[in-house]
Amino acid sequence: MRAFSVSDVVFLIMAARWTLLLSAFGFIGGGVLGLLIALMRISHSAVPRWIAIFYIRLFQGTPLLLQLFVVFFGADMLGFGLGAYLSALLGLSLNAGAFLGEIWRGSIQAVPKGQWEAAEALGLPAYPRLLRVIFPQALRIALPPTVGFLVNLVKSTSLAAIIGFVELTRAGQLLNNATFRPFTIFGSVALIYFILCWPLSLASQRLEARLARAYQR
Amino acid sequence: MNYVFHFGDIWAARDEFLSGTLYTLRLSAVSMVLSLIVAVFGALARTAGPRWLSIAVASYVEFIRNTPFLVQIFVIFFGLPVIGLRLDANTGALVAMVLNGSAYTIEIVRAGIESIDHGQAEAARALGLRSFVIFRKVILPQALRVVFAPLGSQFILLMLNSSIVSVISADDLTSAAQDVQGRTFRSFEAYLAAIGVYLTLSLMFTAVFAGVHRVAFGARGARS
Amino acid sequence: MRPFKLFVAAILIMGAVLHIRPAAAQTVDEIISRGSINIGVLVDLPPYGILNAQQEPDGYDIEVAKLLGKYMGVKVNLVQLTSPNRIPFLVTNKVDMIVATFGITPERAKQVLFSIPYSAIENVVFAPKSAHIEKIEDLKGKRVGVPRGTVQDVILTQTLGSDVKMSRFDDDPSTYQALLTGQVDAIAETGLTGDTFFAANPSGNIERKFMLLRQPNGITLRKDQWNLHQWVNTFIYFVKNNGELSVIHQKWFHQDLPNLPVF
Repeated sequence: MRAFSVSDVVFLIMAARWTLLLSAFGFIGGGVLGLLIALMRISHSAVPRWIAIFYIRLFQGTPLLLQLFVVFFGADMLGFGLGAYLSALLGLSLNAGAFLGEIWRGSIQAVPKGQWEAAEALGLPAYPRLLRVIFPQALRIALPPTVGFLVNLVKSTSLAAIIGFVELTRAGQLLNNATFRPFTIFGSVALIYFILCWPLSLASQRLEARLARAYQR
Repeated sequence: MNYVFHFGDIWAARDEFLSGTLYTLRLSAVSMVLSLIVAVFGALARTAGPRWLSIAVASYVEFIRNTPFLVQIFVIFFGLPVIGLRLDANTGALVAMVLNGSAYTIEIVRAGIESIDHGQAEAARALGLRSFVIFRKVILPQALRVVFAPLGSQFILLMLNSSIVSVISADDLTSAAQDVQGRTFRSFEAYLAAIGVYLTLSLMFTAVFAGVHRVAFGARGARS
Repeated sequence: MRPFKLFVAAILIMGAVLHIRPAAAQTVDEIISRGSINIGVLVDLPPYGILNAQQEPDGYDIEVAKLLGKYMGVKVNLVQLTSPNRIPFLVTNKVDMIVATFGITPERAKQVLFSIPYSAIENVVFAPKSAHIEKIEDLKGKRVGVPRGTVQDVILTQTLGSDVKMSRFDDDPSTYQALLTGQVDAIAETGLTGDTFFAANPSGNIERKFMLLRQPNGITLRKDQWNLHQWVNTFIYFVKNNGELSVIHQKWFHQDLPNLPVF
């Protein structure tokens, strides 16, 4: 077993790039899906609404770890191969889609009913009404919990280690196998995650405070 | 599609799945209770304790909430023995769950406490009640009633999070699925079965908590 | 809004399609025309599979895999596995074959095809020197660590049943470390790897207690890869005969090839 050195710290930081990559693309994938789910969830027709409800309940009511396993081993059932990175990406996106969909649904519905009615009274048809009047307000309400969820997403990428993808946590495991210094190594890994996540958490809290002030009349 | 489903092996292993499920439920319930106890003290420290204690608790909460549960488990199970603290798989799992769960529960309880009108404490003090009694008999019950719903959600999150303890060989439901899969090579079927159980449990608990909330607190409504 | 949604959907589908790999090859001809072969290996089981100083896979299994690729005339893509996910990776087409110290057993042969043995390991029970463990019955009432789904996992579970408390880990290093930190009373693992690990970590005072079995390993393929299977057997027979396999074995184990019966 060799000693833990500076080059090992560099190895960990390099692996953190993959964590960021997985988080960014997972957020984009989850965002697109989440928007779709949110709109389906508030739809007036029953079919899209219930599909969205089922989807949200499924992904919010089961562990992310198992979702990743099923995506990883299941994709091949359908005939195409997905490596660990893409499985993790797909699994995280599907999961994020459910959570973001719920958050954004709540944000849209939090916009006061009066706004909808006023827009309708002004003669705006459905889509411009949604886009121009409701969305900007919903966006503002959605920002703090969305940033908060982003923190969760970054932490969730650690589970990709269990299906073998070499991001920050798996890099720590590999390093530990070679040097056997678990306390130092996993402590360092935790520290790197903290440095990545804490600013986002603070931003989310600050945004929430600003929003609360704005809504106090 | 070139895969043949074989759920027979899964059905043959139903005892393992059952004991894994019971373990998960036990672990989640005990962790939730312990987390709640720690959270009450933690929230008290944050709202009414001396400044140094408040900062210490806040630092602990921030550290837990900004690091992944998986990494926390690795530190507790693999890292602690290095400095002399050796925990077996099941104890380590419990410690990790409580340390993690408490951080989130502290914030929930704290939000509940801070939502109680100051007038309540002032009135109680005017009546001559001592601080700790005020906290225990006036503030805390109202706070817990207010945050009952988030606490219920926290329990379900805790239960879903418990799947991660499988990596340190604890005997939970996910571990059972992993073991069955390792023996029979039926990965897809084993994981689908486990997902089915978790989904059933979370839907069930959501319904139960909603029902309890309506029955216990519904009539009272939200009066702050 | 409708055209925009269609556009987004089209982009997503295109992106998904571009990411799809073709299903794994079944015959030698397919692999040769593809120009590359995906071989699953372990990298946490020295000296069979390790990550060298350049963080690349190396070891006995890896050299055998590279030699196989050389004889077939294709590029070798080494896919890193852990003990428990060897079979899942194989049956879900993520690799074309595995050269991963996989023990030949009839139970496993129901799911996969084994080549003739290319290596053999000793499956050994390790425990602290102070522990009095000489045979399998001495493990009753103890906590024993194994990697999930390995030969030793199956043997101990079937022989001892509920008399033993099995701790099943997701990979080999966790298993070794659990014994070192005292979180299990004993482990059943690959002999040479354990020797290496515990020699480097003498603080645990761990020693070999007894050998569970001598386990021959085969290159492992899917049940329908008959053509490939025949080629692999030919390859192993050839390199055993001309001494190349022995050279690799000497390099990593400092011993001659053990007796590897052919079937």
